[in-house]
Amino acid sequence: MARKYNELSAEEKRILKSMYWRSHSVFWGFTMTKMEANGFTITLTPAIESIYADDLDEKREAYRRHQNFFNTHAVPFAFIASLVYAMENEHKKNGLPAQTIENVKAALMGPTAGMFDSIFFNCIRIIAAGIGIGLCAQGNFLGTIMFIILYMVPQEITRFLFIRYGYILGTEFIDQIFQSGLMNSLTKAASVMGLMMIGAMTASMVRVPLNWEINIGGAVTNIGDTLNSIFPNLLGPILLFFLVSQIRKGRRPTQLVLGILAFGILGAFVGIF
Amino acid sequence: MNMVGAALKCIFVYWLVQGIDTMTSDQTFTRPIVVAPIAGLILGEFQTGIVMGAALESIFMGISAIGGVVPADACTSSILAVAFTILTGTSAEEGLALAMPIGTLMSSFSSMFTPIFASLAPFWEKLALEMKPKKFIGILLPFQLFISRIVPTIVLFIAVAYGIDGLQTLLGQLPGWLRAGLGASSSMMTAIGFAITTAMIWSNETGVYFFVGYVLAAYLGLGNLPIAIFAAAIAFVTFFRDKQTNDLKTELTGKVAGGVANDEEDFF
Repeated sequence: MARKYNELSAEEKRILKSMYWRSHSVFWGFTMTKMEANGFTITLTPAIESIYADDLDEKREAYRRHQNFFNTHAVPFAFIASLVYAMENEHKKNGLPAQTIENVKAALMGPTAGMFDSIFFNCIRIIAAGIGIGLCAQGNFLGTIMFIILYMVPQEITRFLFIRYGYILGTEFIDQIFQSGLMNSLTKAASVMGLMMIGAMTASMVRVPLNWEINIGGAVTNIGDTLNSIFPNLLGPILLFFLVSQIRKGRRPTQLVLGILAFGILGAFVGIF
Repeated sequence: MNMVGAALKCIFVYWLVQGIDTMTSDQTFTRPIVVAPIAGLILGEFQTGIVMGAALESIFMGISAIGGVVPADACTSSILAVAFTILTGTSAEEGLALAMPIGTLMSSFSSMFTPIFASLAPFWEKLALEMKPKKFIGILLPFQLFISRIVPTIVLFIAVAYGIDGLQTLLGQLPGWLRAGLGASSSMMTAIGFAITTAMIWSNETGVYFFVGYVLAAYLGLGNLPIAIFAAAIAFVTFFRDKQTNDLKTELTGKVAGGVANDEEDFF
């Protein structure tokens, strides 16, 4: 059944160790467009370099895949990266569809973010701060040190275990699926979850803050409010699918980014935002 | 105390704690309870820093980054609160009272530059696709440590050296439509990241579930976790229905092929 860490090859251990250190790069080059994509790329670099050492085209595709939008809490970040390492391995060896890797990432980032924000921000940090505040209020610097230890150590231990077991459990699970010949079913199930979570995240994270008031015979109507009363955040998915159609037409991300920037500023200048 | 010198000390504290957090990503050293004592130590009143750290941590405890967006900047607010208290010799309460409005000011300054930094996403992608990992880190890390910190650094400097009035004057100089426009494009930028992912994973067979997830979040106001449980339930059903169809197919082809299948069964 599940392999033990000691049974992994020296190369696998080397990659996992390197990924642990690199998984601390979560927030490097954070952008609103792709959030933690740069950190994800850096974390997966040793895996990509090793798996696709002899295949430049596949390697470039893998880098492109992990330059896509990614966002979760910094600790489960390590688990998903390690799991993706297992999936990239299967992509190379057994032809696990690249789309499935994307879908699993999309499906996991939302719920893990919510879950671990609650665990670390709303539970462990509160406990650590509670103990630290008590000491600091009396002017004791030990409070700060206690806070750092109580808040940082649990994060590091969890991250360390996540890097190990994401890969081991992921590899075992995917191998089982391949043996039972259910890869197509899994691909479809992953796609259901991935798309549903992308839909949910579009609703909660993409905002088109339309604030356009028109005056019809003395009655002031706010177009943004009217559209939202038809359906909440209606413009979010409209913008999203417009952008998808532009990408399908071959527009470069640079054009889209500059287009949105210009649209936002011009829109605000004429008063629709 | 020389205000410009104090401002430079505050910037040093800011870069120090942000630098440690960049390297660990544990979001520990930028918390008020750590920042305030360090600021106190550097500015010469360690005790004040420690006691204010306790008060500031209590204020900012309930405020956490949601979806990567920090509402009021806890780190810079803490540095400024400690700096004002020590430099002007006012009570800690007055320093704390100043901290929150500056935290909000800091957020509005920083968020104005969010879309500018977001415009760099295509540049990072191009750099990653060059497939030179060392070069990628070599450019990204200094960028994260220094360039991405420019805006808060400038705001921090002006606030300490020239007071909050200077800061508000500066913000007042900017036309309102520019601030509104940058804010609007910032919240629309996220759509690009989602659009690239959606274009990649879209399938006509399962695309309908995008709208299910959308309705659950936008209309019913559910969080990501409950939606993920719904999604997992649907994915399970899909998976096992697919498996049954597969099994049925194998059984049927087995019956058609008749003899061959029987031979195999005998063999096992």
